[in-house]
Amino acid sequence: MNTRIHPALIAFATLTFIFLIGPLIIIIGTALSDTTFLTFPPQGLSMRWFANIFEISAFKTTMVTSFTLAILGTLLSLTIGVPAAYALARYRIELPKFLANLFVLPILVPEIVLGFSLLKSVATGAGASIWVSLLIGHALLVLPYCVRVVGASLNSFDFSVEEAAISLGCPRWKAFFTIVLPNIRAGVIAAFILAFITSINDVSVSIFLTGPGISTLPIQLLAHMEQFFDPTIAAVSVLLMGVTVAVMAVVEWTLGLTFLTK
Amino acid sequence: MKPRLQAWLLAFPATLFVGVCLGWPVLSTLATTFGEEAGPFATYVKFFTSAFRVTVLTRTFEIAVITTAISVVIGFATAWVVARAPGRMKSILIIASVFPLLTSVVVRSFAWLVILGKNGILNKALLFIGVTDEPLSMLYTEGSVIVAMVYLFVPLMILTLVGVLEGIPRDLTEAAASLGATPAAAFRQVVFPMAVPGLIVGAVLVFTGSFTSYATPQLLGGDRQMMMGTFLYQRAMVIFDWVGASTIAAVMVVVTLTTVLLMSRLARKLNPVVG
Amino acid sequence: MTVSLTIDNVSAQYGSTRVLEDLSLKVAEGELVSLLGASGCGKTTTLRAVAGFLQPTAGTIRLGDRDITHVPAHARNIGLVFQTYALFPHLSTLDNVAFGLRQRGVAKAERHKRAHEMIERVGLKGFADRYPGNLSGGQRQRVALARALVIEPPLLMFDEPLSNLDAKLRIDMRVEIRRMQRAGGTTALYVTHDQEEAFSISDRVAIMNQGRIMQLDVPEVLYSRPANAFVADFVGFVNMIPMQAGGEDDKGTIAKMQGGASLHLSKADFTVPGKDFVLATRPEGLSVALEGDGIPAQLGLRTYLGRAYQYRCTTAAGEVIANGPLSEPLEPGTNVVLVPQPDQCCLLPAES
Repeated sequence: MNTRIHPALIAFATLTFIFLIGPLIIIIGTALSDTTFLTFPPQGLSMRWFANIFEISAFKTTMVTSFTLAILGTLLSLTIGVPAAYALARYRIELPKFLANLFVLPILVPEIVLGFSLLKSVATGAGASIWVSLLIGHALLVLPYCVRVVGASLNSFDFSVEEAAISLGCPRWKAFFTIVLPNIRAGVIAAFILAFITSINDVSVSIFLTGPGISTLPIQLLAHMEQFFDPTIAAVSVLLMGVTVAVMAVVEWTLGLTFLTK
Repeated sequence: MKPRLQAWLLAFPATLFVGVCLGWPVLSTLATTFGEEAGPFATYVKFFTSAFRVTVLTRTFEIAVITTAISVVIGFATAWVVARAPGRMKSILIIASVFPLLTSVVVRSFAWLVILGKNGILNKALLFIGVTDEPLSMLYTEGSVIVAMVYLFVPLMILTLVGVLEGIPRDLTEAAASLGATPAAAFRQVVFPMAVPGLIVGAVLVFTGSFTSYATPQLLGGDRQMMMGTFLYQRAMVIFDWVGASTIAAVMVVVTLTTVLLMSRLARKLNPVVG
Repeated sequence: MTVSLTIDNVSAQYGSTRVLEDLSLKVAEGELVSLLGASGCGKTTTLRAVAGFLQPTAGTIRLGDRDITHVPAHARNIGLVFQTYALFPHLSTLDNVAFGLRQRGVAKAERHKRAHEMIERVGLKGFADRYPGNLSGGQRQRVALARALVIEPPLLMFDEPLSNLDAKLRIDMRVEIRRMQRAGGTTALYVTHDQEEAFSISDRVAIMNQGRIMQLDVPEVLYSRPANAFVADFVGFVNMIPMQAGGEDDKGTIAKMQGGASLHLSKADFTVPGKDFVLATRPEGLSVALEGDGIPAQLGLRTYLGRAYQYRCTTAAGEVIANGPLSEPLEPGTNVVLVPQPDQCCLLPAES
């Protein structure tokens, strides 16, 4: 194919990618600096700021909170989202059309409005605990991914296969777990990954719901930044980039990275 | 069991969850704004007559529009190169776009604090070259917010548009060439018009994302460049003015929903492809 | 305006895979030549090279006297009909058809007039404002044809244009394509994998394999006189019986077969191409007889074809398929001889 691209465009794209990746490299550099202030290029190389993360108990506990929350929120969302996606795909004519859109609402409502509203009605109004409020908020936040991504693989699933299993004497519920689920595995994995990363990176919802004693890592990072401006922040940032790398590696192993352009 | 009942049973938990945990709180937030003693629209009158509030709204709008415009231009040009890059290079470029996208907004905004700060890298570089004699204050300006926002949203734009451009069959550009269209004419008359609906979808994502963002204006704009997101947070969590905060929330919902509806209608209109 | 197309010793490759090997082909003025072959044989690659979407590594391509080998695709002035039709989904039928005229700077009123005329000629009057998404497969095909014809190209090319249509429409459309091409006297290159389509529409057909033309001739010759085993197999010569010339007597050349049997090939009917050769026939080229000068065989499974019985026969050279008359059905296990019918058999040189 004639794929001649104008050199000026190539130069432009190169600059774009320097712009995209450069700042992240700078963070890695500052995290490695031996100084007590943020500087780049690093002066002296040291891992002391990484060690410092684990000295500060707030980072340790919020890290645990963030992971627990991301996993529980995603699982909760999948538990209610997968049956809904299944119902939407399997019984297309039985359910009203608006229902499919209902599950996408959490994306349409600005996150910060969602966070504030949950604080007002669920945390304060209904008196839910911080943990429960956070769990609800994160499950809502990721529900659209669960319903849409799982729904996409269900839409390309041939339900006559399930009917074949039932005609062979397999009970309905068992047919779902032994026939349908293995065939939409990629969709469920993709939904889990997208939901997990969305949850773990969330700021706008969590900022309203975290409270004394319970916080998430991004919120703790924001709070820390306002008081101290030291390389610990950079070190935590590198750690979070590590999470991204891990997630991308999981995507590559399970689905292949081409999944990400779809 | 009847299919309809089965369907509803399966969809019920999620429906209930969205209804109770999203519908009720958000509607009650919106309802709060109409419950003032001074009259149902008092809080909106207050909002739109306060010079400060209107400034925040227009600033947010302005920053979101500029961010969207810059992201569209950078995103389109870059996506064009990515979409036509040879196999292996393309994967690398896509990874390079996905990586920032999946990295925390706090981390990505923090990077610009380090770069644009008084003792930041950019100032050091400028001092070194001799462009300036004393460090410039670049933080807490509209510019610093826009730079960081563009940084936030360009990957999203690139990935959306790579998908769009790759979705345009090669046959079409070849057909255009066989009919005598120069590469430039084929781009103008075939590729670009076909990419526009996707471009609009991407632009809406960037616009609503930047219009409602919190962490980036918080870190790079501070109180001086208050945007709707940071303003809402301040009203709710610092001043505890929940009616005021609800009003801001309502304005944000109206602006984003209107944008989404208008733009998706526009995208559909520009895309007469049926079936 | 009509010109010839000359492809001279063209080679091409994708990456390191060679897809065209020193290919030469001349399409005369007003002639329709088909490139026929299985997928991956190089037929579409040849078309893409002529269209300018693929740069040959060697050789030249000429339209009339004009060397277009290095002319960019958009300046070649070749009408092209794609397998997928490649209609612009964002443009109406009218704008699709007028697209090429617009590139040529034809004023709006004039190009709309000409596009409307062409739309009418392909039988789509009243569909000018429809978008491709709202047209049926056959209608899209007509728009694609109109779009390629309206620029009045000296050369028309078709890339499997009918493969996405149902059987009946396919036959209608190929008649239509042939009629329009004849009417304009336009030179045409037509790519297909469908033998019947190629034979019915073309002046000449090139059967391709592995980037080479195996045989180029009029359909009648290809059908009855294949030049080599590949073409014979391609056009349905299911029986390929290896033989060896072993002297001659008054009844003709003595052809020896595996297993020691032999038969006579009369000099009037057969030209033996060398010492080792292959007798190639369709089932109807071997008639089943109880005795005579032929290939000894034992009958196997019998199937009824309506006009004849067909037998799977076991011979010393392997399984052979032959037809026998309806008047005397024979039972499996019967020992017979299969007599080659001169007008339906070919002797091909053996390939090493």
